[in-house]
Amino acid sequence: MKLDNIEIENFRQYGGIQRATFSTHSQKNITVFNGNNGCGKTSLFIAINWCLYGEGAENIGELINKEAARKTPAGQEVCARVKLSFRHGGERFISSRELAGIKREDGSVETRTKPSFTLMRIQADGQAIEIKNPIGMMNTILPSNVRTFFLFDGEKIDNFARPDSRDEVRYAIYNVLKLEILERAKNHLSQVAAEHRKELKQASSGELLELLETEDRKRKEKENAINKIQELERERDSAKRKIVDIEKRLRELQSARNLQLQRDGIQEQLERTENDLRNAVKEIREITIRYHSIIASDAIEKARAILDKKRERGEIPSGIRQQFVRDLLEQGKCICGRPIKEGDPSHTHLQGILKRSVSGALEDKVLNTNVTLNILETQNAGIYNQLESAMKRRVQFTDRIRDLQSELDDVTRQLQGSPIEEIAELEGKRKTFEMDIERHHLEIGKCRGIIEDRDREIAELTKQIEQAQKRKSKNELLTRKISLAQQSADAVDKIYQELGEDVRQSIEAKTQEIFKKLVWKESHFKNISLGPDYQLEVIDRYGLPARPELSAGERQVLSLSFITAMVRVSEEEAPIVMDTPFGRLSSEHRASITENLPGLTPQLVLFVTDEELHDEARKNLEKRIGKEYRLIFDPKISSTTIEEAT
Amino acid sequence: MPDQTSRDDRVAIDPAMHEIFKQLSDGADPEEVPFGQLKDVFLMAACLGYARKKRRPLPTKTRDIIRLETFSQSDLPVLYALAIATTGDVDILDQGYEFLTIAEEYANEGIHILQENLLNQRGRPLWNLVDLVRHEVQSG
Amino acid sequence: MLGSAMQEKVLALFKDYDPSVKAVIAEVLALEQEHLSMKNPRGVVEKIEEIVERIAKNETR
Repeated sequence: MKLDNIEIENFRQYGGIQRATFSTHSQKNITVFNGNNGCGKTSLFIAINWCLYGEGAENIGELINKEAARKTPAGQEVCARVKLSFRHGGERFISSRELAGIKREDGSVETRTKPSFTLMRIQADGQAIEIKNPIGMMNTILPSNVRTFFLFDGEKIDNFARPDSRDEVRYAIYNVLKLEILERAKNHLSQVAAEHRKELKQASSGELLELLETEDRKRKEKENAINKIQELERERDSAKRKIVDIEKRLRELQSARNLQLQRDGIQEQLERTENDLRNAVKEIREITIRYHSIIASDAIEKARAILDKKRERGEIPSGIRQQFVRDLLEQGKCICGRPIKEGDPSHTHLQGILKRSVSGALEDKVLNTNVTLNILETQNAGIYNQLESAMKRRVQFTDRIRDLQSELDDVTRQLQGSPIEEIAELEGKRKTFEMDIERHHLEIGKCRGIIEDRDREIAELTKQIEQAQKRKSKNELLTRKISLAQQSADAVDKIYQELGEDVRQSIEAKTQEIFKKLVWKESHFKNISLGPDYQLEVIDRYGLPARPELSAGERQVLSLSFITAMVRVSEEEAPIVMDTPFGRLSSEHRASITENLPGLTPQLVLFVTDEELHDEARKNLEKRIGKEYRLIFDPKISSTTIEEAT
Repeated sequence: MPDQTSRDDRVAIDPAMHEIFKQLSDGADPEEVPFGQLKDVFLMAACLGYARKKRRPLPTKTRDIIRLETFSQSDLPVLYALAIATTGDVDILDQGYEFLTIAEEYANEGIHILQENLLNQRGRPLWNLVDLVRHEVQSG
Repeated sequence: MLGSAMQEKVLALFKDYDPSVKAVIAEVLALEQEHLSMKNPRGVVEKIEEIVERIAKNETR
């Protein structure tokens, strides 16, 4: 960041609009503001802080210039405004902060709203574009938490060299050197990883595997059942074939022939009767479901009665449609052709019908219903009879089947009891095969049941598996996120440790270098140490910490050395703005600082009193002053003006 | 009278009874599965509900199972008759598909009767149904 | 962000890491820089979660 110019309006002592330009020259990089105490030196310093960060202006009283406030009529607005243009990273920016107030009747100024801040970027074509996230932007240019290291108050200059200033030193390094960013990144990434780990634990584990295994099992069971059925059918068919063979043989044997032929006849009848039974059952099923109209016959009767009544009353013209009636009325004619006029009794009658009668669509429904209900009522008796007849037949067929089966048993018994061994044996075997077939049928039925059940279960499982898979891929992503976050956190931590160490050493070395340049009592001191505990120490030639022996001035120089070392190491492009920096230094220190300071920073802005800068100090700075101003306070108007010093 | 479009022409049932409807109409064995189509189950249930003079309102969340056009020309009038007999007037037919709501409520009662008598008893469902309808006719 | 000498060091330390890790770190550091002035920046952790999610998802493409 390099400051370009400042415009200050009605801010504290500065009445009206006052302007100043900062020197951006590489050699003559110093801008000096001279002013006595109370003139507004500090106010100008504060203005820069306030404009960029909204800070530094607490507890200092009114910001709005008193004279401007006084001149403003009651009820009108008066503003304090500071506009600062600067450049950074090759781009130009304008930051502007404004505090508005309303002049009250009693002469005071009411500032109810917070100051408004805008940050704009100037494009190549000169257009100013407002930056949407100004604080975020400022944080990439020069964050507010390092403000005090670049825009600093001379009174606080020895902060870092005091004993127990470890925290300040650490804070300074962390923020100026952006180690803070690394530390935060590491912490936040670790936090993210930890939270995701918790999430993952809570999500079900191994659930998908279980479901898949169960599904597998069910599928296998179903397959087994299918295979079993095939096997059973094969055995059944084989048994059937064996029976056919046996019966064939029996037909050939003289003593068995007749019985076997008998059996053939009975079996044929049995087959037919079983078929008849099946058909009867089908018929019963078809009839039974038509029974609903019988069950609701009460409703049908009632509905018909209601419809009849409506027809009698003429509310449903039988055969005459509503449209027809309308047409008649329109044409002014009666059905018989006689003209009808409004007011005629026939006209009124027709209109009455029209009013009371139902709409066309409804009429269709009603007429349709009427017809159908008629049909249903007549059919109902038939349905009843049909069912009874079919049920009777079912009983007959069932009985017949039973009779035929016992006839078959009879044949079997006779054959089994045959004196001829072969016949008895064959029949015995036949009986066995028959029983096998029956058993197979039962088993097949059971297997079919199993297949049906498994199918249902597999369908249900498939749904569950789909859901679990959705959850699983979420978990996979979660695992990856944990790993990624944790790896990143660890990487940042590693960088942070190494960098931190690196940075500390660099700053130590640099501070040493600068301190040596600035301090004239060089021979007394051997080294600067900036330990891992962030304590800034001066080591004397005996290797011992020399801090207690440092004079106030020397401490200030140490601080200053540290700050400038930080700035150099960070290679941050930022100006150093100092308010009354030399007030408490000895003249020797002043001399050496003023000689070396300009070289340590790209842009230096000093707010000094006359006493601060004279003799050698001024001589040292002289050749590097690019711009110089005087701050002149006029008690008559209680305002300070900024005037360029020639 | 204007057609009120407050409901559509899809016959709705209580989702909790959907399985029963399916069980009674889905399958090849006529003795196990007495009804050939869902609409037949519905008709029978509705008529049963009417016969017992009981209506059971549907829950707020329903399930559509049949489109009105599935019903035959001789089925619809029965549904109309239920509505006319219940309200005592034909006006109900002029209110869009409101008549269906009456049938649905009768059916919602009737389906429980079918479940109780056909499935929760011993014996195969078709014969239980025959017993049931004969009984209804005798006592009705 | 950091000084160039520092930056070079960081890049050197970085180079052996997974490209996804590098991507996450780069975005997170930029995010933290943006929020540097806030003591307890709200929403930063959520934003970091989004970064991790996005980069993790991209890996499976």
